[in-house]
Amino acid sequence: MSRKSFPFRATGGDLRDLDQPGYYSGYSTMAQQKSWDQATRDIVNGRVERIPATHLFSSEEAALLDAVIDRVMPQDDRSETRTVPILSVIDERLYKNALNGFRYDDMPPDQEAYRLAIQAIDEMARSRFGQPFIELTVHRQELILKSLHDGKPDPQHPAWKRMPVHRFWALLMEDCVTAYYSHPWAWDEIGFGGPAYPRGYMRLENGLPEPWEKDEQRYEWNAPVDSLSELDEEGVPPEHGSLHGHGGTH
Amino acid sequence: MVHRLGPMQTLPSPMRRFAENEIVDYCIVGVGSAGGVLVQRLARAGFRVVALEAGPFWDTEKDWVSDEKGSHELYWNDLRITGGTHPLALGANNSGKGVGGGSVHWAAFTPRFHPSDFRVYSEDGVGADWPISYWDLKPYYELLEREIPVAGPVWFPWGHPHGHPYGPHPLGGVGDVLVRGCTRLGIRSVAGGPVAILSASHGDRPHCIYRGFCLQGCKVGAKASTLITHVPDAIAHGAEIRAHSMVSRISLRDDGRVDGVLYIDREGREHFQRSRAVIVSGYAIETPRLLLNSACPGYRHGLANSSGTLGKYLMAQAGNVIAGRFDELIRLYKAPPAHALSEEFYETDKRRDFARGFAVQTVGPLPIAFAKQMTAAMGAWGWGMRRVMMDYNHWATLGVLGEILPWEDNRVELAEEKDHYGLPVAKVTFNLHDNDMKLIEFGKNKVMEIMWAAGAKQVVQESRFAHLVGAARMGKDPATSVVDKFGRTHDIPNLFICDGSILPTQGSANPGLTIQALAARTADYLIKQGDAIFFSNHRDHAEPVIRYDLSPPYTRFKGNPRIA
Repeated sequence: MSRKSFPFRATGGDLRDLDQPGYYSGYSTMAQQKSWDQATRDIVNGRVERIPATHLFSSEEAALLDAVIDRVMPQDDRSETRTVPILSVIDERLYKNALNGFRYDDMPPDQEAYRLAIQAIDEMARSRFGQPFIELTVHRQELILKSLHDGKPDPQHPAWKRMPVHRFWALLMEDCVTAYYSHPWAWDEIGFGGPAYPRGYMRLENGLPEPWEKDEQRYEWNAPVDSLSELDEEGVPPEHGSLHGHGGTH
Repeated sequence: MVHRLGPMQTLPSPMRRFAENEIVDYCIVGVGSAGGVLVQRLARAGFRVVALEAGPFWDTEKDWVSDEKGSHELYWNDLRITGGTHPLALGANNSGKGVGGGSVHWAAFTPRFHPSDFRVYSEDGVGADWPISYWDLKPYYELLEREIPVAGPVWFPWGHPHGHPYGPHPLGGVGDVLVRGCTRLGIRSVAGGPVAILSASHGDRPHCIYRGFCLQGCKVGAKASTLITHVPDAIAHGAEIRAHSMVSRISLRDDGRVDGVLYIDREGREHFQRSRAVIVSGYAIETPRLLLNSACPGYRHGLANSSGTLGKYLMAQAGNVIAGRFDELIRLYKAPPAHALSEEFYETDKRRDFARGFAVQTVGPLPIAFAKQMTAAMGAWGWGMRRVMMDYNHWATLGVLGEILPWEDNRVELAEEKDHYGLPVAKVTFNLHDNDMKLIEFGKNKVMEIMWAAGAKQVVQESRFAHLVGAARMGKDPATSVVDKFGRTHDIPNLFICDGSILPTQGSANPGLTIQALAARTADYLIKQGDAIFFSNHRDHAEPVIRYDLSPPYTRFKGNPRIA
């Protein structure tokens, strides 16, 4: 793991080594699996129990990408044993060439896009701060990544001439949120009901919990005070057609 | 082994198997919304029919899961190239693979098109007119609403007002937001449908359990897909559905008629299926791709493409998602994503500076889809993503469904890249034009207004597109369209196209019901024509008589209510 804990102010200071972040204390989707169908039980349990090995990325590439993932989908508040695997899920998708059904005409294949970006991010770190990306402080890592998020790579790098930076960012975010929010520990964190066949739901209105769900118990949740990745009302990226790989909603 | 379709229904067994060299009457390419209805009708009428499907033949109990990421295989995930000023996301966004096609993962909203949709050029001077009217399709709308069947309000006030055979569904949190916001602004809305999801059990299909996984394939069997509504009846009447069969080419004889298709099985072996007529039902990307890949002497630019319009006039609907954060809990994952809507802004309004309009509909993204939306709508990443997702249960989402006009430069062509069969993949180009952009801007702002009126404390939006139609459009003039009003190609008398690609315009209605109604009408035409399709080049354009006796079981004794 390349994961670095923040200093003490991280996650509000006292929010560290949590088994279950979020506002639904004591809620567990996995505890409900007796009421799921077998096929779903198999796939979700497999996700929790089996962490795929890394095949595609070299150990150097994997280390850098892992450091990037730790910033774009941070889990510093989670305990080590309750950290959701992301890098290995991305590696597996790319290794199996499991496509999402299309590629933008201004993008290279996904595998090549990741390789280009990994190299570019490291060279940007060395050029701007004189150090490899994985050795930078969290703040400096965020400065590099925020410049990609904003669509204004700082410093510039030839890779972003070969593929639009906003497209790579969308690809990276899509892969990260797919890995994280497909995991039952993330469902517990956000209060999502999880698999629901064959039981279904009976309380549809007014946001009421089912008997096996929990009421929300809000408290003040603070991201690290010095993080650059907190929500920013002005931070909405410009529009570029549909987001990469967007699941249908209509 | 029993092949299950939902918890109560099983696939009829054994299925008929035609021998390798047997000549069938009809070979249908693609078993989706249209192909499923066609194969059922033609088999019932006694034709020898093989339907080839590129994807698997789903056993819903074994193959489907109540899980967002685990449902990835439902989509057409093979490579396509997308570009233009506003590139379309494909795959999970709009393309199915496997028996049932897109009807496996549609949200199942089933509004009819309005009468005005068939006369867009006459009324507004933009787009195109259809070679048929609403009244030609109306009896088929009513029939399909009973067959699949549709649940919804007894009174649907827009377009041609009508009711629905099954009662409306109870309101979920997002539907409540839509009705509340619309009501405060004096906008009419309906709830509980129209949606092809059972509100009461229907034959061997149970009613909805409100689990919210409609887009992941309905394991319950409550949401209609042709896999469970029409394919079992087709097999019971002697049709063969051949899964894992990727059609690579349509074969043209020297006399200008087709005599079958080449396809590749799951082991990579090539076969030739001989047939007296071919119907392509591959949807708006794969249909033009197959015809373009079937280019041959006499049709150098694609089979049935003497007009040069094959692949052109591709349409997607504006599908902007407006998300609103509420102080109270919503829990948007419960209830079908599709369950309330307004078509108050559907028609052209001379006071606005654009033609045509849009619908407002509920949507219900599960966590992964919602997180992706927040990437685009809020620029969320890192801790910001974690924070906004912790509020997942406080958000409601409404969709704009806006009519984008058919433009010649929005098109499907062949790319240089090839797929794992060695076939050139589709290259899709999509550009928004002035009318489209004005419409989207107005629609987006109107739905944001509805969201604020409902009491949201924060409102954000993501631009996206929904559905695909066009690219092999029907029309009266062979110089400007690919097929006639029955889906017969102008160029080749025994080659038909029947799917979303033949739509000349798309309205602001989800296209699924219209595609199925068109398929039932084409089937009636083919049945009435009988052997003439196989042996004659004569085109009889007389309307067929609607066949009420060819519906799947459980359709009889159901009615479409009407409040006078």
